Amino acid sequence: MLMIVELAALSVGFVVSLLSMPLVMKFMKRKGIVGVDIHKKDHPSIPEMGGTAVIIGVAASVLTVIVLTPGKTHLLISFLASTLIAGAIGAVDDLKPLNAKVKPFLTLFSGIPILLLGAYNSRGPVFPIVGQTRLTIVYPVMIIIALAVTSNAVNMMDPFNGTMSGTCTVIAAVMIVSSLLLSQHDGLILSLCIFGPLLVLYLFNKYPAKVFSGDVGSLSIGAALGAIAIIGQLEVVAVVAFAPQIMNAFYGLSTIGRLYERREVPRPIVILDDGRLMATSDPDAPITLARVILARGPLHEREAAQVFIILSIISGILAVFTAYLIKVTV
Amino acid sequence: MIRRILDFVLVLLFMWACMILGLWLISGVIVPLKLPWINDRVVTATIKVAASVGLALFWLWLWREIVKRMFWHTLRSQESRMKKRSKKEKALLRKSDKD
Repeated sequence: MLMIVELAALSVGFVVSLLSMPLVMKFMKRKGIVGVDIHKKDHPSIPEMGGTAVIIGVAASVLTVIVLTPGKTHLLISFLASTLIAGAIGAVDDLKPLNAKVKPFLTLFSGIPILLLGAYNSRGPVFPIVGQTRLTIVYPVMIIIALAVTSNAVNMMDPFNGTMSGTCTVIAAVMIVSSLLLSQHDGLILSLCIFGPLLVLYLFNKYPAKVFSGDVGSLSIGAALGAIAIIGQLEVVAVVAFAPQIMNAFYGLSTIGRLYERREVPRPIVILDDGRLMATSDPDAPITLARVILARGPLHEREAAQVFIILSIISGILAVFTAYLIKVTV
Repeated sequence: MIRRILDFVLVLLFMWACMILGLWLISGVIVPLKLPWINDRVVTATIKVAASVGLALFWLWLWREIVKRMFWHTLRSQESRMKKRSKKEKALLRKSDKD
């Protein structure tokens, strides 16, 4: 029965997202919700808010698992609610851009369902070498902050076609492997619920992109992965797997010195005449991960996106090793 | 391509090792720390939390400094390499024009 649940979690999410993605794309194009692909020479218009299909897939997958295993309803509902709250904030931002401070503040609410439904380890996270911590008072506060951090960090890491979707697919795969290693069945089920839809998004979003995920996708995916880390007790594993996203957000914020929107600051990357992307030497532009990667010389968008995914795989390997250290410690 | 990835891997490995070392320092040194001249448990706990937070902030600062220096160093050396190359190309062009 357990194997059936896992297969259902993976396949339902994948199939539903695969079927809904073309419909979402058609709808967005008809409504004029499109974005300009600025890293292409001909600046094509691409349908936005493709992340809606991810949310639909995740919802279908979670509801299927609820039907198959009613005993874990509170965990699954809290995961879905966190994803939907972040997705709703993203949808509002896609349709009417929110202030750089308001958006992170609103994403704090995405962690509330996990607290309200008690879907977390009340003692605190398990650290490698240290073992089980006793952070009973601080941990609930950390949960609220953690989901805001993951959702906004994922949102900030979308510079090239397929970067966000590809790196998040890798993180979801890492969560699956780590859950298996640590025998965290809840983490495994939730990771499988999001892995299928993420794979579909990557297929449509990889270079040359046919759809953009929009903030509806990036915020909901970030919140969902953060929720998996909390519910599945994979907090430290997630921190290591999220290293590229954390680096990107941290470098950007520390160089600008405040929360910012991409349109408010000088662009960290410029396009050369041959279509390659190059890091600018503008001291006022944020030092993003994309800029660090391009500092060694210009690259085509496809190559730059590949570097991001390779970096994510390396972080993922380190995250799995961290999971192994936790297993040894516990 | 490999150099770009290697840069990142080195930073990542260093920061990961620092994180593990920091966790060990917190659990093995800071948490069991006894402060006999302070009798109040709350004050002792506050000092321990402050030391742990300080350590975490130092970790973040170190991370930022390494990447900042690495970025500007790489960018400048890349720019000077490109300038040299374009100078060389111009010189060759002039030479071929003369010939």
